[in-house]
Amino acid sequence: MGEPIIKVENLSKRYSLGHVGTGSFRQDLKRWWLSAIGKKEDPFFMDTLDSDASHIWALRDVSFEVKQGEVFGIIGRNGAGKSTLLKILSNIIRPTHGTIRGRGRINSLLEIGTGFHDELSGRENIYLNGYFLGMQRHEIRKKFDEIVEFSGVSKFLDTPVKRYSSGMYMRLAFAVAAHLEPDILIVDEVLAVGDAEFQKKCLGKMHDVSSKQGRTILYVSHNLPSVTNLCQRAMHLQNGKMIDIGIASRVVNQYLSKHQKKLHMQRWDDIAVAPGNNFIRMNFVELIPHLKNDDDPIDIRTPFTVKFKFWNLIPEQNICVGLHLFTLGRECIFDINSTPQEYSKGLVEGQCYIPGNFLNDGSYYFSLIFVKDTSVELFYFEECLSMEVEDYRVNMNWYGKWSGYVRPKFPFRMRQIAAEKEAVEGA
Amino acid sequence: MEDFAPQKNAWSWEIKAESFWFRWQLPQLWSYRHLLLRIVRRDFLIHHQQTLLGPLWIIFQPMIILVTYLLIFERAVGLSTDGLSPTLFYLSGIILWTLFSECFTGTAFTFIQNGTLFGKVYFPRLIIPLSVVLVNLIRFGIQFSIFFLMLLALEPSRIIDNPLRWITCLFLSLVVVSGLGLGLGLVFSIFTAKYRDLVNVIHLIVRLLMFATPVIYPLSIVNPDVRIWVNLNPLCSLVELFRFGFLGEGTFTELQLLYSAACAVMLILAGTLLFNKFGNKLQDVI
Repeated sequence: MGEPIIKVENLSKRYSLGHVGTGSFRQDLKRWWLSAIGKKEDPFFMDTLDSDASHIWALRDVSFEVKQGEVFGIIGRNGAGKSTLLKILSNIIRPTHGTIRGRGRINSLLEIGTGFHDELSGRENIYLNGYFLGMQRHEIRKKFDEIVEFSGVSKFLDTPVKRYSSGMYMRLAFAVAAHLEPDILIVDEVLAVGDAEFQKKCLGKMHDVSSKQGRTILYVSHNLPSVTNLCQRAMHLQNGKMIDIGIASRVVNQYLSKHQKKLHMQRWDDIAVAPGNNFIRMNFVELIPHLKNDDDPIDIRTPFTVKFKFWNLIPEQNICVGLHLFTLGRECIFDINSTPQEYSKGLVEGQCYIPGNFLNDGSYYFSLIFVKDTSVELFYFEECLSMEVEDYRVNMNWYGKWSGYVRPKFPFRMRQIAAEKEAVEGA
Repeated sequence: MEDFAPQKNAWSWEIKAESFWFRWQLPQLWSYRHLLLRIVRRDFLIHHQQTLLGPLWIIFQPMIILVTYLLIFERAVGLSTDGLSPTLFYLSGIILWTLFSECFTGTAFTFIQNGTLFGKVYFPRLIIPLSVVLVNLIRFGIQFSIFFLMLLALEPSRIIDNPLRWITCLFLSLVVVSGLGLGLGLVFSIFTAKYRDLVNVIHLIVRLLMFATPVIYPLSIVNPDVRIWVNLNPLCSLVELFRFGFLGEGTFTELQLLYSAACAVMLILAGTLLFNKFGNKLQDVI
């Protein structure tokens, strides 16, 4: 790794909006007439033809480099320009401005099974797809058996692929793609399809390709953990502009904290519109981090308090409140309950203190559950608060993702019980 | 993608905003030859899969047209065939015309029919129209062999007496006719992608052009005053040339043949230039 293998400079792509298709011949004639023959400025036409509203910049002045042997992630929301960028890199569409320079053979995998034809047999489709992806004949011949074995459809090799199950179809398509040997591989969201087993296979293969074979991969995905795990560096695109580039995990975290809702307080003054039902109505929830400076981010050391107020609408109701903490992946980390107690009709307040050095870094949300007589659910208020917990480490040479949902500091002691000489003699 | 000379530490390719008129990229096209052959193979396989008669359709189609023409133009209308056997006369016209019209209509919709494919993977786009021409040349070959066998059965002397003549005429008309179909198709493919109205126009052109081409009539029965206009159609002299080669009768001059060949070269040149220049940009509008 080190030498840049792709260099993108000031890349921009503009798309025209609307009036493409039927009637555009008339439009083009009109435009030509106005500019070439008419030479007069008809403000009405000028407005509709040349105003900025008729264009959209799918990419705007994007510059970056990808180094040899690197797995480079591209993240962003839908419509951020990720696919446009990959299509330009794959030479499918041309940029409006800017240049891309690169070295070596480039292959793109914008979908799997490109050029597959339903009526043709698996064997035919392996060849067809391989050639479409830019493989040479000797390459396909050499790898044919390997591809068939990898796909696991050897029994149905001469059956038209329209008779395949969707899983078989996908495996065959991926098998061809997995045996590409380019210097640079461009991969777009191929993991969005298929089951967990298939995704695991895909990710494993990509990992092999990058780490063992030392190829460069440009990878676009909505699966952010896969970006964090596979990619060394990543780029964040937003509305066609590059707003962040750097170490993949950092870019991903920043992206998350930017786009995930951070909900630290909610209040409802009008009981009629507050969430709840005939038994319980919410009034207030708040997450208060105990930070030295208010501007600091919440990190793994930060203790915080969850406060809530609610209206109890039934006289002498025995209520117990449960505070649930979830990861973004909806895994419950804890469920803390208040002591069951009878409350009169009216406003009730509660709070729970969660110490620092307890949660691992990540995104979390809280839910509140109200239970009557420790058995009947009165109201479940899901995702009432959410937060991001940032990573914090000192004296570490490793910056990979710390495993686990919690990261408590429990007493952990070690000591040497024998020096080397003594140990050997003892044995 | 432009290939630079391999230098150490130098970039080997570059993608820019500009597209160029002159960028033949023949080496690249050559490196994709196996794809071309696979697409041809695919087209044959999928056309005849799950059909009762399979590849026999390639022969049946012109035969059915032949019978129709014989019934209508020979029996009912009594159109002259230059004193030639009506069966061979019509069949020669039909197979050559089919070659042109299939090449033309097959390539004219390149971008419309392959839009999604072009949006997913890069390969030289010219591969697709070339595959269409290749498929139709093979079909022509099969149809021609039937024509040849019939000729051999009905009038064997025409083939045996002067082999050089029919081989030259066959080769010339084949190359120029498919060239005209390809060239015209390439030019139209650029415009059909942008202006969908042309889809209808193309079918109309093919239908009308057939009547302006001596497929069902010999050029010799056309009024000499009008003939100069009919000869503006570059296909005209080629059909006559083909008939002359095999059946011994045909109305054409060397100048007209040169004109047809020049038309084919110009159309292919214009078509490939447009393809180079606009092929990639069209992806934005499809």
